[in-house]
Amino acid sequence: MIKDILTMNGYGLYVWLSFAVTFFSCIFYYVKTYKELKKYEKEFAKELMELSAIDRQEYLENSKVANQIFLSKSKTI
Amino acid sequence: MFSFFSPSNIFVYLNKIIEFLNSIIFIVLVVALTFALVFSPPDYVQGDAVRIMYVHVPSAWISLAIFSIMTFSYIINYIFRIKNLLIINYSIAPLGLLFTALAIITGSVWGKPTWGTWWAWDARLTSMIFLMFFYIALILSLKYLNDERIKLKATTALSIIGFINVPIIRYSVDYLNTLHQPTSLKITGSSTIHTSFLLPLFLMLLVFLIYSALIFLMKYKTEIIKMKRKRLKNYD
Repeated sequence: MIKDILTMNGYGLYVWLSFAVTFFSCIFYYVKTYKELKKYEKEFAKELMELSAIDRQEYLENSKVANQIFLSKSKTI
Repeated sequence: MFSFFSPSNIFVYLNKIIEFLNSIIFIVLVVALTFALVFSPPDYVQGDAVRIMYVHVPSAWISLAIFSIMTFSYIINYIFRIKNLLIINYSIAPLGLLFTALAIITGSVWGKPTWGTWWAWDARLTSMIFLMFFYIALILSLKYLNDERIKLKATTALSIIGFINVPIIRYSVDYLNTLHQPTSLKITGSSTIHTSFLLPLFLMLLVFLIYSALIFLMKYKTEIIKMKRKRLKNYD
């Protein structure tokens, strides 16, 4: 049965090539997107840390996005 | 009501949705692959080569759907100036290009055992190549045009012109001379595809849709952060 799945009655090369290209392209793009997101989150949290305490407090009160990222990233910076 | 859909309000829920999609994608993928590679029967003409359909067809559907969504968003944005739609378009354009490229590559691999050639310049294949060029032009315009007004005009024009190609792709197999098989799955009228092929096809489509949603949400989140960073710099 495993041999049948691998050879696909002579079409194995084409079937597995299609699935492999799709799978690896999707994985590559997922990792790239994830890394990019984490990089920007980290940089943004760092920039928030560089503000003075009063400015940061004021900015975080007015921005839900900044607040959420700062809370999640401040421990790792 | 519209303020609820502002990027800042949506951002709060993004992490939860991303976590949920991440938790289910692997299970759905395993089930879909089992059906596509093991349980699905071989076709009586194409044999096991028919299994390529399970990656080729969802890729092609999603690439066309994304381009249609982008064009619709650009038109709506051009009339009502909703910035969120531009962020959405910026986030989904690369995904559309990825699926267009995958549809072309897997289609080419499928062509070799069924048509005897990797490539033919017929109506369906050529119009898909054009779709890919439109995606590339859109992404380059979004990335390298600095003037916001020119960028908006250029990308709106590109998406509308490119959208003319969408019905050409859809109907090229029915009305033009092509090696590609005619439409098997129809929304109206009876489909010529057996249910034993439909279940794996829709399971794979579900995997691709979850994956697309994941990528879109991560890209969307990145774009919101980029926007907030610009504002933070002005805050100084």
